[in-house]
Amino acid sequence: MMRKSVFGALAIGLAAFAVGTAAAAQGGMPQLDYHLFAPQLVWLAIAFVTLYLVMSRLAVPAISDTLERRQAKIQGDLDAAEKANEDTRALVAAYEKRLADSREDARRLMRERGEGDSNAAAKRLQELSERLTRQIDEAEQRIARQRDDVMAGLEQMARDIGQDVYSKLSGQEADQNALTGKIAAAIKGAAR
Amino acid sequence: MHSPMEQFEIKKLLHLNLFGIDASFTNSATWMIIAVILATAVFVWGMRQRALVPGRLQSVAEVGYEFIAGMVRDNVGDGGKKYFPFILTLFIFILFCNVLGMVPYSFTPTSHIVVTFAMAAFVFVGVTIIGFARHGLHFLSLFVPKGVPFVLLLLLVPIEIISYFIRPFSLSIRLFANMLAGHTMLKVFGGFVVMMGILGGWAPLAFIVVFTGLELLIAFLQAYVFAILTCLYLNDAVHLHH
Repeated sequence: MMRKSVFGALAIGLAAFAVGTAAAAQGGMPQLDYHLFAPQLVWLAIAFVTLYLVMSRLAVPAISDTLERRQAKIQGDLDAAEKANEDTRALVAAYEKRLADSREDARRLMRERGEGDSNAAAKRLQELSERLTRQIDEAEQRIARQRDDVMAGLEQMARDIGQDVYSKLSGQEADQNALTGKIAAAIKGAAR
Repeated sequence: MHSPMEQFEIKKLLHLNLFGIDASFTNSATWMIIAVILATAVFVWGMRQRALVPGRLQSVAEVGYEFIAGMVRDNVGDGGKKYFPFILTLFIFILFCNVLGMVPYSFTPTSHIVVTFAMAAFVFVGVTIIGFARHGLHFLSLFVPKGVPFVLLLLLVPIEIISYFIRPFSLSIRLFANMLAGHTMLKVFGGFVVMMGILGGWAPLAFIVVFTGLELLIAFLQAYVFAILTCLYLNDAVHLHH
């Protein structure tokens, strides 16, 4: 590639010299007037050195400083963004953990609450049924007692009535024992 | 009609003499100084705010800086850092001289072989000094390609030496000849426009319009080529391998 560019330059140079020699017939190439080399070289040196000083002392430090500051700023911003991103991610993770914990707690509480409820309900039901059974028993006993009372009263009443009826009809005192036996038999027969 | 070469004539505007040397201020010097002033305007005045978010002119300065910084980094590596201001100056100076030469009635300092050769010779001498300063006589191994049979070396070493010494000539003639040929072509076709008159002159005029665009490209390209070849030569001197 290098060699090719060398030959390319020489070819262009030859072409340029051809143009130059064509022009030479009309007055020559100003480029070959060596009397004018010195002023061009002097001013080339002045201009080039000036530009070099301007570039190396003023422009290059200014630009490299600006580019570095910009790079630092961009890097700083990127770092800050990365950090913020990580913070956010940590926050989200903490939030999700808390959410999961809370959900777990809630589930546990509900489960415990549910178990307690059913236990208590069963216990209450048990108590209720026991109380009811007891009340029923008492009621039955009371009824039985009242029935016995009633029956006893009935016997007594029947005996009194039988005695009155017998004494009014026969005009004499009824045999107590026979009457009691007859009435008991009659009640039994009626109850049957 | 004027000769196409008349545009390259050096005109002394101010006769000066410096220690017996003719240091007259010429039209060439004028445009060199204008190039320096404009380059300073872009790179110093344009950078005056040193803004983190650059304006237009600052962007231009930064693009130029990063363009050459990337070129030096890619072609020379870290060893080229201290030569970066020089390469940047070289590129900007040639670029501004070339582009300003496209302004009508201006002058193109880089269309003179003595100017381009002075720069090329400075680069050549500088690179050679850097090479010897860094590597001593070992720098001569640059002329001996590696892994080549001895018999071939007898042929290759002279070629390498010749191609090394031809560098300042190829470097300077490439830039000078491109500027010379382009400007001459423009002038010649400008002459055609006048010659062919209002009826036939449109064809060369259209050519000039297109060719002016091409010339602007060449003005940039030649500054780029000069800078990148300087980088490659510098790389040889710094790293001793091609």
